[in-house]
Amino acid sequence: MKNATVPAPSLPAVLTVRRRIDAPADELFDAWLDPSALAQWMRPPGIERTEARLDAREGGAFEIVMHTADGPVHHSGVYRRIERPHRLVFTWVSPFTDAHETLVSVEFRADRGSTEVVVTHERLPAQWRADHEQGWAGALVQLEARATAR
Amino acid sequence: MVEYKEAALDDVFVALADPTRRAILARLAQADARVTDLAREFPISLNATSKHIRMLERAGLVQRTVLGREHLLTMEAAPLAEAAAWLAHYRQFWETSLASLDAFVTGRRAVARAKERK
Repeated sequence: MKNATVPAPSLPAVLTVRRRIDAPADELFDAWLDPSALAQWMRPPGIERTEARLDAREGGAFEIVMHTADGPVHHSGVYRRIERPHRLVFTWVSPFTDAHETLVSVEFRADRGSTEVVVTHERLPAQWRADHEQGWAGALVQLEARATAR
Repeated sequence: MVEYKEAALDDVFVALADPTRRAILARLAQADARVTDLAREFPISLNATSKHIRMLERAGLVQRTVLGREHLLTMEAAPLAEAAAWLAHYRQFWETSLASLDAFVTGRRAVARAKERK
């Protein structure tokens, strides 16, 4: 029973975080693609200042630099799906992904004036990275499958 | 080394993406087992069981010891700790980010409403 302390078999393969926010979906959606808004709110604890540069169209790139006391932390990626105000899908590369591409999808579910924002973050299997086109088709098919399974 | 470790972590997430493999891991967390034990306990063929076990082995989640004709399988928890750390880091990152998005957008709306009242 050396493994008993690790609740491992129940570990999810995909990370999902959700929050209900008292604002309309379009305002929340736009806060992700407006660089000055993004720089103001995407500032986790320990970050003194965030800079954001982005090209808000499908295939466009973004760069988010979070400045800490120990120096800058670079995040970058490419927008894959921009479906205002329902869904935003982008790749995410940071020192915490060791420069490997991961996939983030953000869904905005409007409900009587408030909106549930759901962030899903997953690692891309190696074979998806090998062939980008096919890879993205696979990733999106999986997203669709998950969306329709709900 | 980092390259190798990261590739391994991807294998861990691929291994965890399948419910049968998660169930096999949960079973091995209870006690070691032979391949034939698992094939009997799970409603899948010996061939399918072997395939799942190979994927778990590739991810470093299962160790195989060959004792004569028996193949004994043991669960390895270390790669799971790494996957758990990755998940914990990003869970916290996105939770604080969404809290901050909430404060930013609802704060801006409150200011706009206050201006309208003036």
